[in-house]
Amino acid sequence: MPAKTTPNDSPHRLVGKNYQTPDLVAKVTGRAKYAEDYRVDGMLFARLLLSPMAHARIRSIDASEALAMPGVKGILTADDLPAPADAITDQGVVIPANKLGDRGLTNEPMYQGEPILAVCAVDELTCAEAIEKIKIDYERLPHVVDPLVSLRPGGPNARVQGNVWMRPAAPPAEPGKPPLPPPPAQVAELKWTEEDFAAAKDGQMPMGKPAEEWSFGDWEAGLKSADLVLDETFVSPNTSHQPLETRTTMAYWQNGKVYVHTGTQSTAQTVPAIARWLGLLDEKKQPDLTKVVVISEYTGGGFGSKITGAISAVIPCLLSKKVGAPVMMRISREEEHFIGRARPSVHGRTRVGFTKDGRITAIDMYTICDNGSYDAQGDGMTAGRMASLMYQPPAMRMRGVSVITNTSPRVSQSQPGGFQGIVVMEPILSKAARKLGIDPVQIHKINSPEGKAEIGPPVRGKRPYITSSFIREALDRGQELFRWDARKAQVKRSGTKVRGIGVATSCFVGGSIGFDGLFVIKPDGKMYVQSGIGNLGTESVHDCNRVAAEMLGMPWDKVEIAWGSSTKNLPWACPSGGSQTTHAMTRAAYITATDAIQKLQQIAAKDLGGKPDDYVVANERVSRKGGGAGMSLAQAAKRAIELGGIYDGHELPKGINKMTATSATALAGQGLLAVARDTMPRDGLTHSFVAGFAEVEVDLETGKYFIKDYLAVADVGTVLHPHALGGQVLGRSVLGIGHALGQKWVYDQHYGIPLAKRFHHNRPPTILDVPSNMQWDAVNIPDPETPIGARGIGEPPVGAGCMAILNALSDALGDDVFRRAPVMADSILASLEAGHPMEEGLTAHI
Amino acid sequence: MGVIETATNPWGQSVPIHIEFYLMWAAAIGGLAFLMVHAIYVQFLAAKETHTYSMTDQAAAARGIPAKIKRHSGVARIFHWVMSLAMFALLITAFLPKMGYPFAWVEYHWIAGLVLTASIIFHIFHASFWMDFWSIWPDKIDIEDGKRRWLRATGKSAPEPRKFAKYPMENKMYHLIIVLAGLSVTLTGVFMMKRVRTPFFTRNPYLFSDWTWGMMYVLHGLAGVGLIGLIMAHVYFALRPEKFDITKSMIGGSITREHYLEHHDPERWPVEANK
Amino acid sequence: MAIIRDIMPAFELFQPATVGDALGLLDQHGSDAWVLAGGLDSFDWLKDRIKRPKVVIDLSQIAELRGVKEVNGGLEIGAMTTLTEVVRNPIVKEKFSILATGAELAASPQIRNQGTIGGNVSQDARCWYYRGGWKCYRAGGNICFADTPTAVNREHAILHADRCVAVNPSDSAPALIALEAQMVIRNAKGERVVNAEDYFVGPAIDITHMTVLKPGDLLTAIRIPATWAGAQFYFEKVRDRQVWDFPLMNVASAMVVNGGNIEKIRVVINAAAATPLRLTAVEDAVRGQPRNTATGEMAGKLAIVGAEPLRYNGYKLPLMRNLVKRAISGVEEPKWA
Repeated sequence: MPAKTTPNDSPHRLVGKNYQTPDLVAKVTGRAKYAEDYRVDGMLFARLLLSPMAHARIRSIDASEALAMPGVKGILTADDLPAPADAITDQGVVIPANKLGDRGLTNEPMYQGEPILAVCAVDELTCAEAIEKIKIDYERLPHVVDPLVSLRPGGPNARVQGNVWMRPAAPPAEPGKPPLPPPPAQVAELKWTEEDFAAAKDGQMPMGKPAEEWSFGDWEAGLKSADLVLDETFVSPNTSHQPLETRTTMAYWQNGKVYVHTGTQSTAQTVPAIARWLGLLDEKKQPDLTKVVVISEYTGGGFGSKITGAISAVIPCLLSKKVGAPVMMRISREEEHFIGRARPSVHGRTRVGFTKDGRITAIDMYTICDNGSYDAQGDGMTAGRMASLMYQPPAMRMRGVSVITNTSPRVSQSQPGGFQGIVVMEPILSKAARKLGIDPVQIHKINSPEGKAEIGPPVRGKRPYITSSFIREALDRGQELFRWDARKAQVKRSGTKVRGIGVATSCFVGGSIGFDGLFVIKPDGKMYVQSGIGNLGTESVHDCNRVAAEMLGMPWDKVEIAWGSSTKNLPWACPSGGSQTTHAMTRAAYITATDAIQKLQQIAAKDLGGKPDDYVVANERVSRKGGGAGMSLAQAAKRAIELGGIYDGHELPKGINKMTATSATALAGQGLLAVARDTMPRDGLTHSFVAGFAEVEVDLETGKYFIKDYLAVADVGTVLHPHALGGQVLGRSVLGIGHALGQKWVYDQHYGIPLAKRFHHNRPPTILDVPSNMQWDAVNIPDPETPIGARGIGEPPVGAGCMAILNALSDALGDDVFRRAPVMADSILASLEAGHPMEEGLTAHI
Repeated sequence: MGVIETATNPWGQSVPIHIEFYLMWAAAIGGLAFLMVHAIYVQFLAAKETHTYSMTDQAAAARGIPAKIKRHSGVARIFHWVMSLAMFALLITAFLPKMGYPFAWVEYHWIAGLVLTASIIFHIFHASFWMDFWSIWPDKIDIEDGKRRWLRATGKSAPEPRKFAKYPMENKMYHLIIVLAGLSVTLTGVFMMKRVRTPFFTRNPYLFSDWTWGMMYVLHGLAGVGLIGLIMAHVYFALRPEKFDITKSMIGGSITREHYLEHHDPERWPVEANK
Repeated sequence: MAIIRDIMPAFELFQPATVGDALGLLDQHGSDAWVLAGGLDSFDWLKDRIKRPKVVIDLSQIAELRGVKEVNGGLEIGAMTTLTEVVRNPIVKEKFSILATGAELAASPQIRNQGTIGGNVSQDARCWYYRGGWKCYRAGGNICFADTPTAVNREHAILHADRCVAVNPSDSAPALIALEAQMVIRNAKGERVVNAEDYFVGPAIDITHMTVLKPGDLLTAIRIPATWAGAQFYFEKVRDRQVWDFPLMNVASAMVVNGGNIEKIRVVINAAAATPLRLTAVEDAVRGQPRNTATGEMAGKLAIVGAEPLRYNGYKLPLMRNLVKRAISGVEEPKWA
């Protein structure tokens, strides 16, 4: 592959340049302290007792023998947990408590491996011996681990309340007022008919009554007028998030405040989350932020499973309170499998109409989402929303049902729903290209979004649209860098090997808005930035602050970043999930730097005369335009303290978050304090894109295939930090490639018990399963709706990674060899041998 | 040390899985002990029975009692020996590996089990329609006489027990126990074939609940070890001199008139006169 | 009893320095003792609290069990020699490269640095029901959970299953059998030597053990005779991931070819049954035949006669057929322009 064009040719001083992040040395030398690395005086350990059954009710717990053991300090059961309480947001919106949500411990285990209770003792061995002495009387309840089994007439329900999350229709709007949002989803029973099942031919997904549905345009006419209509079923896998750091947590109480050492995707937002889980609410029923301290300097990955930490963190918190000592609860890899969350699988059946030149005329998609045991998962319906953006159908119908199963809880994983939408759609695009004789890159380009492209169903009569898309440019760049045309012309089969090339496009939300920034320029001339972003390996905790430093002309070595503990006076920040951070927090940095510049200009004008606009900030100075009087930022900081008020933080702007205000107040008087909330306009919804290109080689005698080359080209707006971006583009591509190669869950359906619980069973890809010279590039075109132009990257590489591989595989093997992911040697070999797909298409968890 | 070995099933429930295998030794030792006690008792303690014919040869001949009396038809004898072969095969395949002589036993075991089952089914039909069905089941007189024998053996006074019908009391009791053990072991065994690979059906260990299966294994095991003792006793008695006539009849089919007249009551077991 | 995993129960640990001491301890503690070599198999069992020995005898301190010696043109490999040491040994590489290939395909570099050749051949089955602590036949129960109508058994046996359908997962075992290796077993009473292919036992004979080792026994060394030194070797392992994965199947062959005809041959397949299988019928059929594709194809077809797939492992039939074919006639490498 030729050397890619480097995105490091940035016109900026810091933005777009590589640098060494402040946490790097600690990470590579092992000095970085993760939650498990902390030890405090008198610390006890806790271990969990997990449900052996897939669904049961606990009649009684007899822990007397365990509690009588020397060294055992106490137990915590679901009865010790605070009742789920309603919460009220800053805006006064009541978030009703989810009575069917995961509370950390339970008296009605919903899946095998669900924590029932925790035992706390002087060491883990004592905990384990005590746990073995606890007698629990379970009443076994019906269980189901396969969504289609639950939908069958007379099929078991995973919950006593039902088997499906149903979203009731929104109540009618009062005249003259905006329509009300639909009420939260509720659990109900939904069974399909025998006819629904019989209507699906071999391998096709049956389609009964959906729980949710939307549409736009005349999709029926679209399909009718199409030159080619494909009706394909494809199944995506359940995959655990499997962060290398499990959700280990250590907690202790001091003066009524709980100190929590844990891993999280957001230092700031974990504070209210833990307060709510622990029932620490203030008089306004809002989470009491003064009662919780979150310490999380380093987090070993989250991928969506630790958005605001983990609910299991309440266990050591409450145990610590109960026994009056610090409690460390380490989570093993197997326990992480149970409680660590996973991406829900989606069974998708899609009809897509194409004109003979490859343009999609309509999409009719139906998804069954394996919801897992707890909260309603939106992946199934989001799949349709993302497909509507990625492939720009003029008309579309989307139907879906999220079926509750007695399997470990699901939660968003990198590109939630978007991934499944791409997985369901890409085989169809790839097949259509072959049937219509169109180049696969071309058929993607024809159907790609451009500019302010529309997305999803209409809202109040109008379809929303995105801020920008440059995926066509990414496809062009990739086509050239990957030498697509040359590879297309090469020999396909030799010996027992056959080669294939594939391309896939992918998209997801690429940023949110409305968060705060906070920093102080002190009289020492340095800039002290407070970052509430979680440090989960993406480096955005540092990267986003480069924007503010650049705007102030501050050399990077004079920037000190405070992060990783809510004691450090952090501002309110977005959680690093859904690829929000780069977009949201560069905006927050931008608006905060703007606030600093304005304050510096005002101070300069006050001291040196003229109007604030006469001054510019550059090279660590605020100085009069065109030369002349000025002062250093150090001097300005000193002046800010003297001036007080808004300048040093004694007076704060309205509209900033409560947490930001508290932190700013604590920092007031130390220098020039910049604080602001991002209230800048944005026209459209921010989304990012990736085009993936792959070449595979299949051994026809073993069914084994190898990825020879991989290239991802990202459309993520302005490149903020090339090294971090490359890490994300390729890292998340590998996450997606894992879904193609072998990562999945396996359950024994009879007992409802997972069989694949550890790394070597779940088979996340290894470094030897991907090409050693994977390539990436970014189109580096700024998004027009955000001042820095940068969007997030975490999500879209996943779907592209998975489907570029599988499209390459079907290019090598032809249509109808596989119809679910992952595709492993066994299904390839068996299908090639039989001449038709041999793998059971629809059975869950095999 | 109990009777049933339990295991934790995948749901964490304690379920029976089979008998404790020391019971195999217990049955063997128990069986052996019984034989020894019995042999000693007969040899040294029991009152010697006086052999009396209730009838002279001539009288018997006059009443048409033949010199050789048919006790077992050819078919019944074939059944017995097929069954006994199957039974030995089953015991050997079941217990030799447990005794430390491993070999691939499962296939032989279920094949022998099928032979046994088939022969039992045959026997039930044969006995129901072609044999004197009730002759093998203990009747009122047997129970009364059993009581008398017990009283007399323990030194109490009781009227003399009557002579037997076709089958002596111990024969009937033995048959009864064998029926129980045999039916338990074959019925459970047939179901257990659902759990191993055979050409007959798809393996499905989930036909019953874990607990039901466990109890089935326990019953199979109890009947199986029971059969160790029963077969030992059976062989022992077959070889005892005073019972040898009966043993021979299982080969040749007949007993002698002497034996008939000594042990059986011609009223209760009328034999057809020689024509 | 509630079940908890990932915390090793207490046991008495012995670290003998000589084989004699180890044998003494084994004799003393009998079936209460657990032999610990590299720990890659043992620690799974111990950490999960499924196997609970009273006594663990760690062999890591016994120097005499470690190392590769040249003996009469062959080799004697101490049982505690790590897989990495085996792979890197120049004589293994030069004369018995099939063993280096097989051993190098096992697990991951970290595991090979710690895992031993003795442990690799003696490791327990990896069936996820069995390893999950389910009380199956192999665990002393009365059921095989992997052969039921709902079982997920993609990695299980297609040959010689007897109630239990687990497979032997070793990558070095088939290479050793192909090389006509012998296993040296010692106990307090003395030493016995068994052929590598007889070292393994299937469920029909002993459903709770993978090898002939009895309590008190210690595998001390593996002898490789000079017989196959420098022969033509073939080893292939098919696995889902390119590192840290057990074989879906592997094949090993050692061959002497004379004038284009196969003069001497041994072919072994693993992960098809509970023991590595030496395919003697295949060997007999191809001996004297020309080494070509036709012979390979014939051998492949013959190899899978009698194979019975389970619900999810039907692919193992063509896989075994193709691997045996390759082991005889080689693989046709692509010639990309």
